[in-house]
Amino acid sequence: MEKTKSMRLPSVSEKEPNYNNSSLVILDKISKSYRGYKVLNSVSFHIDKGDVMGYIGPNGAGKTTTIRILVGLLRKFEGRLQIKGIPVPARIEELNGMIGYLPQHVSFQRWRTVDHALKTFGRLSGLDEDILEERIRKVLNQVHLSDVRHKKIVHLSGGMIQILGLAQAILHNPKFLVLDEPMAGLDPENRYKVKQIIRELNRNGTTVLFSSHILSDVQDITTKIAVLNRGQIMHIGSMDTLRTKLHSTNDIDIVLSGKFKQTQDLTKIAGVKGVEYPQPNKLLIHLEDQVNLDEVSRDIQRLLMADGYSIRSFTPYVPNLEELYIRFINGGGNQ
Amino acid sequence: MSLKLLFKDELKGFYKSNVMMFLWIGLPLVVMLFHILTPNTGDIPFSIMTALVVSTLGGTLAAIMLAVSIINEKEEHVYTLFVVRPIKRKHLLLSKFLAVYTCLAIATVLALMLGLALDYFLGSLPPEGLLSDTLFEFALALSMIAVSSAVGVFIGVVSPSVLVGVILVIYVGNQLSALPMLSISMELSISPLLPQVLGFFGLSTPSMFLWVTEIPGSIRFTFFVGMVLVVILLAASIAIFHRKEL
Ligand SMILES: Nc1ncnc2c1ncn2[C@@H]1O[C@H](COP(=O)(O)OP(=O)(O)OP(=O)(O)O)[C@@H](O)[C@H]1O
Ligand SMILES: [Mg+2]
Repeated sequence: MEKTKSMRLPSVSEKEPNYNNSSLVILDKISKSYRGYKVLNSVSFHIDKGDVMGYIGPNGAGKTTTIRILVGLLRKFEGRLQIKGIPVPARIEELNGMIGYLPQHVSFQRWRTVDHALKTFGRLSGLDEDILEERIRKVLNQVHLSDVRHKKIVHLSGGMIQILGLAQAILHNPKFLVLDEPMAGLDPENRYKVKQIIRELNRNGTTVLFSSHILSDVQDITTKIAVLNRGQIMHIGSMDTLRTKLHSTNDIDIVLSGKFKQTQDLTKIAGVKGVEYPQPNKLLIHLEDQVNLDEVSRDIQRLLMADGYSIRSFTPYVPNLEELYIRFINGGGNQ
Repeated sequence: MSLKLLFKDELKGFYKSNVMMFLWIGLPLVVMLFHILTPNTGDIPFSIMTALVVSTLGGTLAAIMLAVSIINEKEEHVYTLFVVRPIKRKHLLLSKFLAVYTCLAIATVLALMLGLALDYFLGSLPPEGLLSDTLFEFALALSMIAVSSAVGVFIGVVSPSVLVGVILVIYVGNQLSALPMLSISMELSISPLLPQVLGFFGLSTPSMFLWVTEIPGSIRFTFFVGMVLVVILLAASIAIFHRKEL
């Protein structure tokens, strides 16, 4: 969709995170550069115990980079990171057992079977031999992979491997679960399943951070979201506050029965800020912030009808969440 | 703890792989052919020539196998799931090295023993210096394979791609693994070294170590060069691997 200057854009929130005792993870002004190119720019937020945090941003925003820093894989960065009060990466070994991690592109050694991989990862995570078997059975059941337990991983489908990635991440009952796009590439049923699992784990006390580009993926399970764009945090807070921030009903969508010939300058009507022409017979009118919707509507209709147009529909425009998010991201990038 | 577990895992992964199949069958076959055809090996004793052929073949394959396996697993980011767990990174490399070396050492020893048995049945046993010759044959083969395997690990860690890795193994690896062979051309006699060193500190050689002094110097030299190379190569690999962002 074409962007107009008249669009009302939400402002970037650069709130200082307020740390408290219940903060499990604290990121404080984390920056990361690759050969002089800044990929993360002073990213700060905190995750409280019991949170399910959605980490949202477009391709290349820096989500994976942040996550790899969080789990101790990227060790060179600026800023301060603490998990459970323990500095990362300096003392990451003390945390390894309590973190579960699903990488964006999960992969396993070619010769392993599902069972073999889980046994090894379970043991390496410190699970006792006497509960290992039972735990694997339970987790495979949970993710619906019991049928393929003795199959070689290379013979599984892409989506199944992704789910197996989730299984290895939750196997050792981690207190903090970090999932990098756990739902990417999954069918609707599996997406739903993953959400269910996240919910269930969270109910049992697991704190979760997961990334996605898709807002609708996170809207019904997160307690908090962070929106990242080009390495900068644009919003931290609940989904509702983001929705309020984004939501603008000050647009009107008009469909005419014929082509609009732009004979009239609609912007001369008091209260109209700009006009978009998404299709020849469609107009999208942007209104000023404080206007009387009834009055402006009447004026617009009058003008159009005086010019001989017949109006097929006239509705306040309510963009869907995804559209708002894209506008938000694009707008923020320009600010 | 993680080393033992990973070693067992890797062993499981390797011993059934295609390359290993080839080694289990290929090496004894080569030895058999070699013994049956009994080529004229000039100045080099026949048993040493056999050891050379076996360990060059086996060593090259081991090095390629290790290098390719590490490069592939690096590229596929297989190691991320390991290093986010409480394990030591060096164990990932050491377990692979030990697994391949174990498989290969067994295959090599079996192949060489087959050679000995053939000699015995064909009645072509050399009458003199049999023990030292045989020991040397084994020492040389095992040392060269150890060096080759360590070269494989090193190249696996540093190479950006499988192609580069294989080229490096073939051109650099073989040169390095031939170093333990130096003892063949060198007339080294360092057999009485141990009692001398101990004597320097006013100690006498414990009887349980006496057998060491019986071993010809060339064998010890071979082992020594092999060990030093292996340690250097593995230490360098571990240091580089430790710094890598996986
Ligand atoms: N190893 C690297 N070397 C150089 N640049 C890198 C490296 N890793 C990531 N980047 C760059 O950092 C930026 C952020 O990448 P990152 O993978 O964190 O994004 P992302 O938000 O996870 O994107 P996606 O949604 O596509 O997964 C990108 O511009 C990427 O090109
Ligand atoms: Mg990513």
